[in-house]
Amino acid sequence: MNIIEIQNVTKKYSTQVALDDISLQIKKGVVYGLLGPNGAGKTTLIRILNQITAPDSGAVFFNGHPLVRKDIEKIGYLPEERGLYKKMKVGEQAMYLAQLKGLSKKEALERLKHWFIKFEIQNWWNKKVEELSKGMQQKLQFIITVVHQPDFLILDEPFSGLDPINTNLIRQELLELKRQGTTIIISTHNMASVEEICDEICLINKAHKILDGNLVEIKQRFKQHIYSMDLHSPQAISFFPANFTVLEQKADENIQHYLVKVMDGGSANSLLQFVMEHGEVLAFNEVLPSMNDIFIQQVEHYNQEHQS
Amino acid sequence: MNNTMLILSREYTTRVKKKSFIILTLVVPILFAALMVVPVLLATKGREHVNVMVVDDNEIYINNFIENDKTSFSYRSGDIEQIKKEALAGDYDVVLYFPRSSQKVNANMYYYEEPSMYLRSELESQINSMFFDHVLQDSFNIDLEKYKTIKDLARSQITMIQIDENGGEKESMAEMNKSIGMICGFVIYFFIFLFSGQVLRGVLEEKNNRIVEVLISSVKPIELLLGKIIGIALVGLTQFLIWIVFTVVILIGVQIAMPEKFMDMSGVDTEMVMQDLNNSQLASTAGNIDTDTIFSEISNYFPISFSELILCFLFFFLTGYLVYSALFAAVGSAADNETDTNQLTMPITMPLLLTIVLVMPIADNPNGKLAFWLSIIPLTSPVAMLTRLPSGVPLWELLLSMVLMLLFFVFVVWFAAKVYRTGILMYGKKVSWKEIWKWVRYE
Repeated sequence: MNIIEIQNVTKKYSTQVALDDISLQIKKGVVYGLLGPNGAGKTTLIRILNQITAPDSGAVFFNGHPLVRKDIEKIGYLPEERGLYKKMKVGEQAMYLAQLKGLSKKEALERLKHWFIKFEIQNWWNKKVEELSKGMQQKLQFIITVVHQPDFLILDEPFSGLDPINTNLIRQELLELKRQGTTIIISTHNMASVEEICDEICLINKAHKILDGNLVEIKQRFKQHIYSMDLHSPQAISFFPANFTVLEQKADENIQHYLVKVMDGGSANSLLQFVMEHGEVLAFNEVLPSMNDIFIQQVEHYNQEHQS
Repeated sequence: MNNTMLILSREYTTRVKKKSFIILTLVVPILFAALMVVPVLLATKGREHVNVMVVDDNEIYINNFIENDKTSFSYRSGDIEQIKKEALAGDYDVVLYFPRSSQKVNANMYYYEEPSMYLRSELESQINSMFFDHVLQDSFNIDLEKYKTIKDLARSQITMIQIDENGGEKESMAEMNKSIGMICGFVIYFFIFLFSGQVLRGVLEEKNNRIVEVLISSVKPIELLLGKIIGIALVGLTQFLIWIVFTVVILIGVQIAMPEKFMDMSGVDTEMVMQDLNNSQLASTAGNIDTDTIFSEISNYFPISFSELILCFLFFFLTGYLVYSALFAAVGSAADNETDTNQLTMPITMPLLLTIVLVMPIADNPNGKLAFWLSIIPLTSPVAMLTRLPSGVPLWELLLSMVLMLLFFVFVVWFAAKVYRTGILMYGKKVSWKEIWKWVRYE
């Protein structure tokens, strides 16, 4: 079941096209990475999901019905450019924003208490926001984003500006929310975090979707048949058959490390058989491309193709 | 609607709890009351008994000054230097000295402690009339009693009578109307700017601290805009109400604390007011009118009642504020910081500034072409209409102005909502009015 279904959405601003005929689906309960270079159209897409702007054409479905105003209560949004009222007290502000999301006063207070105790920040309640450090403010913003227990979370660069401890804290909370069934969409440039927590991704470039799907499948699709091997052998292999290209080679005492690309006509098994003859194989595994590599390669490829 | 209420109450409570609001709310009534009480107290002080020593080298005024319970006169002749020293060291507060001269009305007044200014004008008027009598009798040999009769007969008076649409006639007090009109014009100008300026800064604050995107993912921009504008309007009305109540309370308190001073002074107040109002016409009766009757007189002369004036004031304050704050909100959303807003607010504030510059001509000729057009055009009408109102405005003009104001208000809110929606998410771009117009037409 898809929680979000975007059908042929197009959005133009006066001087440029922000989204051109984009379609995608987000399954319930997944962590979905929304990737793309700066200016690709990610923020516009996110704003359409939040109903901050409306698409020029196309449709957005939420839980199977066309997205309506009421759905806002089931969506949590952490914008990239996020801030708070500096002069307002932490507790008052959290209460205010929680109530704007449709919580009653009582519910808001209960849930906020729960989160403040969980993050051990009860003593902030009566402080002014300007007295908090940037990291503390980000914790508060995270709480405000999730306090109304949304089914669908939209996070724009959630880890930017966080120290490693807080990054880890937020990541743990996200995984916990996912276990509870929350669908999460993350827009980020941080490819390492994408690989760690995303199940599915979508790559947008210049208003077009150029790639989407399951992260593991995508990695498989773009694999280059490269294998890394550790071989116990006193000396390096002097000669490889033509269908194996050595990309990297180094020796460490009696252990030889290789990075080999299997060309057409070869296979992993034939490579393994070949090296077995030269020593004891200690490790043999396929090297899948990193999300970073796929990102760069796909974007550059697209840009070259569309230059002419 | 629920969201608008939440926003409204946040806007209201955070502002009302601010120190600056509390201080301003408390200080203004005190200032206002002081403004009304202090002159009275000063004048009372000036009315303490004064002993005047008159030295007249020309020997015209000797024994001719008229005494009253506040002023008594003694007369001496001789060396002024010596008399001056002795008199001021003794029981006398001032020494009035006429040197030998052909200009027989000029005198010097010597004192240690400055006497009240009323003493000076009182003495001057006595000197003038004494000299006049003296000259008439001694130089022209005219009988004084006869002259006074002639003078009374020849006193010209023009009574201003305004005829309203129903043919009713009312004695008008043009000068009074003019001053009240100008005060109303200035006050409404001040308040429109004060509170719509707060809307501008509020919008900028939300944009600058980047909370706005969080907010509009929960509420519609129009809800945010209306909540803010109405919230601040309520802050303004609260402040008004407190000011009025406090000022009245303070004034009543002062009157209870020192009743004798105010009883005593009512006559003087009346005299001053009347002189300002209409010198020749009413001066003769001034002495025996007290403050209460003066106010009933004023409302008799007034083309519209005080309650009508206050209702019109509230109407034009509210609509004027709403129009300007909506426009300011649009500007605030389009700009990134307060400096950038200046060039954008220029075309909006120009009409208001222009009207305030033209308040004098409008008050001078409240039914002229200039006054008419400025009080019809929505951006200028709050100030211009309020300036005109005390002098009387035909009902159809007032209604036309109000209807246009309301229509314009609807247009402005529509316009502001469109600009605001786009502007609050736009950063780092210097926006012109041309660009803003594009946003409005853009769906």
